[in-house]
Amino acid sequence: MANVLDLRRRIRSVKSTRQITRAMKMVSAAKLRRAQDRALAARPYAQRIASVLASLKRRIEVLDPETGNLRHPLFAVRPEKRILLVIISGDKGFAGAFNTNILKASHQFLALCEDKEVDIEAIGRKARDQMRRRYGVATHDVVQSENPADGSPLTHHVRRRKSRIEVVGDHPGLLEKLNHRVVRELAEEIIRRYTHAEIDACYVVYNEFKSVIQQRVVTERLLPLIEPGSHVIVGATEQTAEERQYAATVAAEAGISPFAEDTSEADEEAARFGTSDVDYIYEQPATELLNGLLPSYVAAMLFHSLAESVAAEHAARMTAMDAATNNASEMIDSLTLYMNRVRQAAITKEIIEIVSGAAAL
Amino acid sequence: MATDTQLQVTLVTPERILFDTTAASVDLPSRTGRIEVLPGHAPLVAELGAGDVTLQGSTLETTRWNVSWGFVEVLPNRVTILANDAVAPAAIDVDAARQQLEHAHSLWNAAGDDAEAYDAANHVLEEAQARLASAENPAS
Repeated sequence: MANVLDLRRRIRSVKSTRQITRAMKMVSAAKLRRAQDRALAARPYAQRIASVLASLKRRIEVLDPETGNLRHPLFAVRPEKRILLVIISGDKGFAGAFNTNILKASHQFLALCEDKEVDIEAIGRKARDQMRRRYGVATHDVVQSENPADGSPLTHHVRRRKSRIEVVGDHPGLLEKLNHRVVRELAEEIIRRYTHAEIDACYVVYNEFKSVIQQRVVTERLLPLIEPGSHVIVGATEQTAEERQYAATVAAEAGISPFAEDTSEADEEAARFGTSDVDYIYEQPATELLNGLLPSYVAAMLFHSLAESVAAEHAARMTAMDAATNNASEMIDSLTLYMNRVRQAAITKEIIEIVSGAAAL
Repeated sequence: MATDTQLQVTLVTPERILFDTTAASVDLPSRTGRIEVLPGHAPLVAELGAGDVTLQGSTLETTRWNVSWGFVEVLPNRVTILANDAVAPAAIDVDAARQQLEHAHSLWNAAGDDAEAYDAANHVLEEAQARLASAENPAS
């Protein structure tokens, strides 16, 4: 039987763990609130870009008569032989099943691409580490050439594919300080690879987050674009009812509304952008306008996915840490009970010893 | 709200709405040159370049903003600016802008005869120049 001192020590240790998990829960709640605000604040831009795009579709000169869609390389549909998969996970653990769910969805997607070449762009340390271990990193050969303009040396990096699935790109710290500029660079890089036909499609795996009780892990197609303003979801895993209920309770305790904020008024206003029923003067030719709009649109979609994923990660951590705090409390209770029993047993034993000693006299 | 002599001006960046206010007129950097918008302007959609957006007759504290790239929609009584990036001139990091300028020059030199790289370098260059000009402009 353990002695009282050992038990007291264990209780103290569990108590300090509980303190940490409780603090982490509170921090996550605060971060979640900020992430939610940020995701919400990013919407007006994305919606306005989508509505100008939609109104541009009415202009005849940019419409492709064969497909009835916009004439632009990003709308070109090719047979999917090479795919870029963007996986958005978290940087840190302690977030329940958040990272596991993302990785599970990614592996499901990869299992479907049996004979296709897949490049993985992993955002978030968790996905990066696991994908690198499993599939290896893309390698590049350095090739030297001369600048035809002035003869100065130029270095090129030429990709050398070693296996069917490889990890390209590394984005440390992108999630920590979500910044549109960096996201836009990433979007432009993806667009460049698509227009140069290095990839035939681009998919994104991320945790969609409308509110704490409206979440799902989705696989969404980013490119080729078919219908601007709509999301093409190819796979989705919903929250279980149990998870949803628990998340709602925790959110209520932390003072976070479990429902998505009502933005219908702002949405309506955004939808009117560039679509008024008037004959606009287009300062640039519509095709040129389109060339400028599409990168912004893709960047906004990517930013939206990232912002929602960050919010979802904090929500997941908040729930997980609440569960951990509760477990710690339960453990302390049962340990305290056990300790009291042990102490009582020791006292009883001593009394018996004294009594039987006295009786023997 | 906007009246006959007032414009409703909104500046939206990918991260948030920076302001939504009224003004008597707005000066914008479009891709092909500066435009000044007064109430009653013809409906217009234009691509935004790099430069300063200046508001006249508004109640805002900062009436000059450095923006780079994006779009603008002009309606007779409303102007919506979608900028990829917008900062107040006072908040511009001059050292970073100088570094960007240097970086742009090196990109420019490395571009060779690759038209795409050349365009990209020009893009960075214009942005850096607009930033520096905006930060050094005392009238704000």
